[in-house]
Amino acid sequence: MIEKIKETVKKLFKENKIDIFIGYNEGTLPLRSTPCFITKPEDIEKLVWNSYCSNNLAVYLPRFFVPQQGAKDAKLPRIGILAKGCDGRSIVGLIKEHQIPRENIYIIGIHCGGMIDTKKIKKVDIVAAEEKNDKVLVEDEDKRKVELKKEELLADMCKTCQYTAPVVYDILLGKEKQKTSKEDREAFIKEFEKKPLEERWKYFQEQISKCIRCNACRQACPNCYCKECFADQTKPKWIGPTNDISDVMFYQIGRIFHQAGRCVDCGACVRACPMDVDLRVFTYKLIKDVKEFFEYEAGVSLEENPPLATFKQDDKQEFITEP
Amino acid sequence: MKNDNKWEPKIVTFLCNWCSYAGADLAGVSRLQYPPNIRVIRVPCSGRVNPFYIIKVLQNGIDGVLVSGCHPGDCHYISGNLIARRKFALLKSFLEYIGIEPGRVQFSWVSAAEGGRFVDIIEKVTSDIKKLGPIKKLGKWQKETEHIKEILK
Amino acid sequence: MENKIFKLIKKKEILKLLESLTKEYNIFVPIEDNGDARFSEFKSGQDIYWDYRNTKISPKEILFPQAETLFCFGPEAEVKSEEPASGGKGYLIFGIRPCDAKAISLLDKVFGGEDFEDPYYLERRKKTTVISLACNKPQIDCFCTSLNGKPDNEEGADVILFDLGEDILAGAVTKKGEKFIEKQNKWFEDAGQSDVAKKDKIMDLSLKKIKSQIDIQNIKERLDNDFTASFWDEIHQKCLGCGICTYFCPTCHCFDITDEINPKAADSKTPKGKRVRCWDSCMYPLFTLHASGHNPRPTYKERMRQRIMHKFNYCPENYSEIFCVGCGRCVRNCPVNIDLREMLISIESTK
Repeated sequence: MIEKIKETVKKLFKENKIDIFIGYNEGTLPLRSTPCFITKPEDIEKLVWNSYCSNNLAVYLPRFFVPQQGAKDAKLPRIGILAKGCDGRSIVGLIKEHQIPRENIYIIGIHCGGMIDTKKIKKVDIVAAEEKNDKVLVEDEDKRKVELKKEELLADMCKTCQYTAPVVYDILLGKEKQKTSKEDREAFIKEFEKKPLEERWKYFQEQISKCIRCNACRQACPNCYCKECFADQTKPKWIGPTNDISDVMFYQIGRIFHQAGRCVDCGACVRACPMDVDLRVFTYKLIKDVKEFFEYEAGVSLEENPPLATFKQDDKQEFITEP
Repeated sequence: MKNDNKWEPKIVTFLCNWCSYAGADLAGVSRLQYPPNIRVIRVPCSGRVNPFYIIKVLQNGIDGVLVSGCHPGDCHYISGNLIARRKFALLKSFLEYIGIEPGRVQFSWVSAAEGGRFVDIIEKVTSDIKKLGPIKKLGKWQKETEHIKEILK
Repeated sequence: MENKIFKLIKKKEILKLLESLTKEYNIFVPIEDNGDARFSEFKSGQDIYWDYRNTKISPKEILFPQAETLFCFGPEAEVKSEEPASGGKGYLIFGIRPCDAKAISLLDKVFGGEDFEDPYYLERRKKTTVISLACNKPQIDCFCTSLNGKPDNEEGADVILFDLGEDILAGAVTKKGEKFIEKQNKWFEDAGQSDVAKKDKIMDLSLKKIKSQIDIQNIKERLDNDFTASFWDEIHQKCLGCGICTYFCPTCHCFDITDEINPKAADSKTPKGKRVRCWDSCMYPLFTLHASGHNPRPTYKERMRQRIMHKFNYCPENYSEIFCVGCGRCVRNCPVNIDLREMLISIESTK
């Protein structure tokens, strides 16, 4: 698979179709990969593709198209990008919101079998790891070797993936992977919804109190491209910069709500969060609601109107108070 | 009989200028009585109401919020309230999901001719929030995390 | 270390010792939390996480909390400094790793330096006793030895402990540490030659475990002339600007000051507002945004350059110390696997 990717990228550079390619290189820690930006064909050899390539690369796209002062006629770069299913949907979102021009992006779609969540391995200092088909062989510091099943280490959101490859792409590599049912993906939300109100609030408080306001979730999210986030605004001052629990709740509610109709459930926020805050149980609720109320799913169509920029005459209004 | 319940809820209402605010004005001109718990904020359109206003208001210790706009189809700006309808459907569902009592944040349609309806809605909202009690969630300065952070019990 | 007098104490006895000290000190010990380690106030009956590698967030938050009220104010409210949350007791940071202890000594230079004395930090610091715990098992991303550190480094500690299994070997480092051990003498017994030999053996093995070694002896001089070098153009590309590296770093100390207003101040005697100091990060896009709208560090390139220069050039210039202790937290927690060690190696090898 990696050879096919390298071949495709080499061809793109040879035919002068792109200026920069965003892909993955080997990480410096076991079970990690790292994003890379290739401008010279000789660096193509360093590309990797494995079950550690979890970062959503779409987050890097908007910064290439920020208008430069005094450079109105500057040529916009042409960017090639390796996109898994979730990354591809983020790219669709960014194109729809006019953050990146479709014609400057060359999307190499790739069927993804799921990414490993390194947070699932705790209390072991892994010195080396190797992926072999559906197993992951890890070696700890005492030179003990353990074989772990890859499917047990998969991130939760990858276990119930609905889009293993991007819906919009220029070329698609890889073999189609098995998908689970929609019900499987929604199951955890449905279960949480059944809990009583006070229990849900307690869980929300517990999770949110872990947050240290490092802003990693916001910075890792491709949809959060605002030049000035509401959280940093001083006019008006919505929240302060401290980790005061009320402000942290506002920040999380605000950021998640800003994703209404836009979040593609790529999990970049959950992966980036250093404190293991369970964000998905809140972000996915909005995705479910948008699907239920407005029959819209983010990131699958370039033509469909965003749900909060349009309306239907018969939108549901049972929630409206009647005397 | 001593009235032990001295607490009166404070409710912030966002009323759209062309319909709901006019409806509230009509209620006043008609000398219709309604609970004095509301604090009115006039906005040009219910679509103007940023969901953050609602959360900010709750954060500041207000016990309830009502956003009221024109009936669908009657918006002075054609579609402001229709977009708002979608926004608020999501917001209400999300706030309830994370544990804010349903009934604290409510939405209504009141037209400029419906003074009586405005009064009925205010009475309903006020009695709903009175039943819920003072807000104990989201508030600032209620519990500060100084020093080492602890998981809230 | 050669002429140090070592004392011995059983691990079980340490818990009792700490319990006896709870009236005198606010005690912070490393505890286990869902597979990770963090510092928390010592509660009786709770065990210490002796085998912990290192905590997620550095213990700098004990002396330099993430959010700290500087003072309150109001129309008729007394303008006063917030009562220190110490409750009149001292602070005992127990079981901190040598790299983090060294970081405290670096923060001392910033907050208690010649140019400026920070009363909030110093108020806490002067009441603090630091008892460090030498590392038996460094992690794969620890690189303290590249920064003149080692698993049994004593900088910053008042007392240093060594985990010998069931026993703990204790050695005083500073006068404060000596006094501490003297005062608690009844809990300790004298250590024998064999105990000290056991400790030496464990430390030897521990030192060998640190595989990560980078040569940055001349990094400051190198960077003196490298402000406009071309390697800065590529080194920043992966950075998301998330701030995790700075928040977790034990030596990072940038902060923001903000005023918070109490929306429910009912009467004029209740404080209407408070001034709060909280952590900030030079990696945030808006960190250097001026009121005019100009931002001297507009892109990730300038911010990454600033971070490296600050730690490895400006601080050595101002405080004669590199502001990195090699704890590895930035490497471990960076969501895009930006590796400081890799960056330093590539800087050193350019030209």
